[in-house]
Amino acid sequence: MPMGRYLLGRVAESVLVFFVILTVFFFLFRLAPGDPVSRLVDPGMTPEEAALLTAQLGLDQPAGKQYLIFIANFFRGHFGVSFHYGRPVAEIIARRLPNTILLFTSAVLISALAGIRLGKIAAWRKGGRLDTWMTIGALVCHTLFLPWVALLLIWLLSFQVGWFPITGMISPELWIVGDVTWLEKGLDILHHLALPLMTLFLIHFGSYLLIMRGSMLETLNEDYIFTARAKGLPERVIRERHAAPNAALPVVTGVALSLAFSINGGALTETVFSWPGIGRELVFAVSNNDYPLAMGCFLLISAVVLAANIVVDLLYALLDPRIRYG
Amino acid sequence: MADNPGHPIRGLRLLLILAMALTIAGPAGCRRTDGEQPVRIGLAEPPRTLNIWLASDANSNKVLSQIYQPLYAMDPETLEPVPWLAAAMPRHDPVDNTYTVVLRPARWSDGTPLTATDVAFTGHLIQSFNIPRYAAKWAPVAEIEVPDPQTVVFRLKRPCANFIDGALATPVVPAHRWAAAAEAARRSEKPLAALLNHPVTDPVGCGPFMLAGYERDTYLHLRRNPHFFASGHTIAGLSLGPHIDGLLFKVYGTSDVAVLALKKGDIDMFWWSIQPGYLQDLERMPAIEVIASRRSALYFMGFNLRRPPFNDLALRRAVAVLIDKAFIVERILQGQGAPMTAVVPAGNRTWHNSAVSSPGAGLSRPQRIRAAHRILHDAGYRWQVPPVDDGGRIQAPTPVLLPDGMPMDRITILTPPADYDPHRAMSGMMIQEWLADVGIPATARPMSFSALLATVKSRHDFDAFILGYGRLPLDPDYLRTFFHSANAGPGGWNMSGYRNPRFDRLADRSQREGDPQQRRRIVFQMQAILGEDLPYIPLYTPLLIEAVRTDRFQGWVPMLEGIGNRWSFCRLRSVRADGDRGGA
Amino acid sequence: MNDAECQGPGAYQEPSPAAPAPSFWRATWRNNFRQLVANPVGRIGVVLLALFALMAAASFLPPLIHPMYHPMTGVDPLIAHSTGPSWRHWLGTDFIGRDIFSQLLAGSRVAFMVGVSAALVSILVGTAVGMVAGYGGRIVDSLLMRLADIVMVMPTLLVVLILASLFGRLDIWTIVLLIALFRWPGVARVIRSRTLSLKHRPFIDAARIAGASHGRIILRHILPNVMPLALLYMTFRVTSAIIIEAALAFLGFGDPATVSWGMMLQWVWKTGHMFQAPYWLLPPGLCISLLTLSFYMIGRALEDVIDPRLRREEPDA
Repeated sequence: MPMGRYLLGRVAESVLVFFVILTVFFFLFRLAPGDPVSRLVDPGMTPEEAALLTAQLGLDQPAGKQYLIFIANFFRGHFGVSFHYGRPVAEIIARRLPNTILLFTSAVLISALAGIRLGKIAAWRKGGRLDTWMTIGALVCHTLFLPWVALLLIWLLSFQVGWFPITGMISPELWIVGDVTWLEKGLDILHHLALPLMTLFLIHFGSYLLIMRGSMLETLNEDYIFTARAKGLPERVIRERHAAPNAALPVVTGVALSLAFSINGGALTETVFSWPGIGRELVFAVSNNDYPLAMGCFLLISAVVLAANIVVDLLYALLDPRIRYG
Repeated sequence: MADNPGHPIRGLRLLLILAMALTIAGPAGCRRTDGEQPVRIGLAEPPRTLNIWLASDANSNKVLSQIYQPLYAMDPETLEPVPWLAAAMPRHDPVDNTYTVVLRPARWSDGTPLTATDVAFTGHLIQSFNIPRYAAKWAPVAEIEVPDPQTVVFRLKRPCANFIDGALATPVVPAHRWAAAAEAARRSEKPLAALLNHPVTDPVGCGPFMLAGYERDTYLHLRRNPHFFASGHTIAGLSLGPHIDGLLFKVYGTSDVAVLALKKGDIDMFWWSIQPGYLQDLERMPAIEVIASRRSALYFMGFNLRRPPFNDLALRRAVAVLIDKAFIVERILQGQGAPMTAVVPAGNRTWHNSAVSSPGAGLSRPQRIRAAHRILHDAGYRWQVPPVDDGGRIQAPTPVLLPDGMPMDRITILTPPADYDPHRAMSGMMIQEWLADVGIPATARPMSFSALLATVKSRHDFDAFILGYGRLPLDPDYLRTFFHSANAGPGGWNMSGYRNPRFDRLADRSQREGDPQQRRRIVFQMQAILGEDLPYIPLYTPLLIEAVRTDRFQGWVPMLEGIGNRWSFCRLRSVRADGDRGGA
Repeated sequence: MNDAECQGPGAYQEPSPAAPAPSFWRATWRNNFRQLVANPVGRIGVVLLALFALMAAASFLPPLIHPMYHPMTGVDPLIAHSTGPSWRHWLGTDFIGRDIFSQLLAGSRVAFMVGVSAALVSILVGTAVGMVAGYGGRIVDSLLMRLADIVMVMPTLLVVLILASLFGRLDIWTIVLLIALFRWPGVARVIRSRTLSLKHRPFIDAARIAGASHGRIILRHILPNVMPLALLYMTFRVTSAIIIEAALAFLGFGDPATVSWGMMLQWVWKTGHMFQAPYWLLPPGLCISLLTLSFYMIGRALEDVIDPRLRREEPDA
């Protein structure tokens, strides 16, 4: 099957899947008991005021009609207005998204790079003491419970030792001073980024190490490696030029998918580190019954993951000539 | 990436160097901010909005109450209204039922003068848009007249006992900033939604502070308002500043982290109740002062009086006897609160009826079981194996049988989820165990907050629930709101479905009664009736525990509902002692 | 929470299937276990797991000794705040005077319960869907795999959190079921591709010609061949279920009537003892890590035992 047709098919499927998810979640949110108006516990709010507010938010319409309105607006590029903030959903997401991308993209990339390198070494010395310790170390790091480790690290490195600021993304004291250069602001953000980045790195590099190790071991059994050895090439060249690039393939696809999933931020990481990103916003929106915002965040995540799946398939095709479509 | 033939560890070393660089680079940038600094305040959540009409959350109000000001504020000592933006208490004319208010000379933070027109505009805005949370307070107002730029006259439709505490405590907004937005909203399809969603990026008020910067949902900076009307004045016996340059609100995701920031000196105050676990530690630190304030809060267990089994007063009394409020306060609240007796909290000195007492106060667990057993037995409840045997010894009972001989269906106690309020969720669990002592089959079930409210307020499909009002107004008009039979319908605040004609009559009278002494007697009577009928069992009033650093600023004014009040921010002064900074 | 599972056409290469022989299982099991324990990683895993199993079994004891050791409702009559370790309370007490050690034991029981039952359900569903999709052919395959795609796109923790928060029925079994229902697609995909490769093997054709029904072919011939793979996935699913439950409980969306480790952490956190009571904070977090670690290690070792070429599952948390 030619590649173009395959691609078209995949895209069409994904669009369908996207709308199924949209529909399911739209009705899920509407079916849930309670609404943003009823949760306002203010004895000063009379039932008449509540009813008026419900009507103004459009929540008095039947769910089917709300759905049609939502779809119509969706195609016109309106994703609704957040009940909680009173601002368009797109605006709120656009403000949070860069923060999430900054933290999680760098975390995924750094841990993947480290994982590939260490995994390569581990595989190369398979069975040795280094390999055993690396594998166990990777497993231990990977199974650490994230919020627990994060809070311990904050306590140790931010509070006791004082290397890093205590959570957040910027130091307001610095930003409210008028004459601060962009470089200083950038450094300030990097400084705040360091600890969450470290935490994510600790948790994630292990899985990349293990994948890389496994994949590398497999590659080392391939015929062309034997051929290379027979040709008398130096071991280092075999490892770096022949084995590693091929072995990195599954890691690369893993990275692609992780990048996609990183859009959802981790609710846990962002909460613990007070990082103003999408994950924290989504959890917040859900517990506030802010359906439009929750829908917006969720649809964004779904769309990116669906797209990433297609990209991964294509990546495979490009990188591994053995794959055929069909 | 993998083509790099270098030493395998080299990449990691690079990473390490990068990490080190980040560690060192950051603080270098931070160190230059030692100069004039505002009071830094930690918030637990970012403020929702800067639009005062949408701001129903506590955090927006913390910020906006520094900007928008009411005509009358609450005296920190007496808790009575004192003239704030108004020059004196209103002149009340009981014959044609008018209130005349004269304003102080004041300016908005953009320099334009504040006039009576602004006050009238605010009232009209609330009434014409039916702005939630305010419209009901302004409902008695028939007309607002502006005889001269400094005078407003309100003509009421009916006598209203809480007019000053209600309508006249509403923040006043500038007409010149809101008129255009209101006009645009009025023309739109959904006027109220348009007004609430009107973006406000530069709020103009007349308070002690004005907005200076708002960045990335991580901080909010207020600068001192040079036009603040009360600067240098003495109101309620307190001379007012503000004497500080500004306020810097910083948002922390979790309270642990905020407490660490406080200990480390990154913030001067954490504007949120501090969990008891931190107290010991904080109290040991010389630079930190822990301040406990009483709250106007009601945490209670409510019953559904519309259906069995809790339509039976005897059963409610038995439950009230079984609940060990002292246990809840001592253990679950860690002593940071007080058992509650009447529905009006004890901190509200004017209106709390201290004659109402808790049934079973001071009893031990076996005594409670015996007392509850006696109440239930006298009302016709039976057991195969009763909780108390013939010799008066406590034993594990079989499930209780109703007076008609049928076994009692399992009842559910709805509570908010643990993430929302662990205390209430855990109180529910404890009450479940106590009820089991006399064979009442109960299950505590935490449910999401909005689902809980929808169930108890609109659908009325429940047995019992535990809820709380964190910031009750001081005026006891809420007794009428919560227990008047007219509010028992779907969506009304009388969630229990309590109906007592005698109570209704008193409630109606209390709302109109102009004489404070007379009104007080009525309100006391209402509390006594509720103490007998037990539609709610008041459980506890938590204390508000706040912690501040005293090494940079001093002068916090303690008050009901904590030190985060307008008096504090107008009186704080920087401690300029030789740069000696104690602390972490 | 890295939800990604490394997938893609051809991400998985087909190993040659073992011939189905019923007696083969008993022998291989004994053999496999020996091999598992021979591997240092596997050995640590088995020892850790045994330790936690012991803890879970012992969790029934404390309440029998004295009612104050009941993990949920028992409070020490003399202690009304958090105290450090003592003879009376080996790991100290929590903020209302409950015994932390009893809670830790009860937590390990809950972790096993949550982990194993959620994993079991998701493996059952995943295996069934995978086999039916692989065996069933184009339309069935297409439909089931698109369904798998839909579920797979959703980040499990967030979705369960949304559902828990919206519906507020936070019963522990509901949480188990929800976790299971969002964790099957990965299994289904792998089982499907294994089934696809088996479908045209001679022994399947032989069975078909002999007149075996589809159901019989799936149960008798395909199932035994995908079993080892399913078992392997089970160990990974156990860990992810435990971690998701802990995260939910930590964020406050767990079942408050159940003493789980995540719930214990939530109590430490919400009552402000995070940095005040190390005896309370450290044990639950360590236990979560160590129990998931033990399942991981066994999983890794099993991989080498069952099929050294199966190294495709990215450990997911």
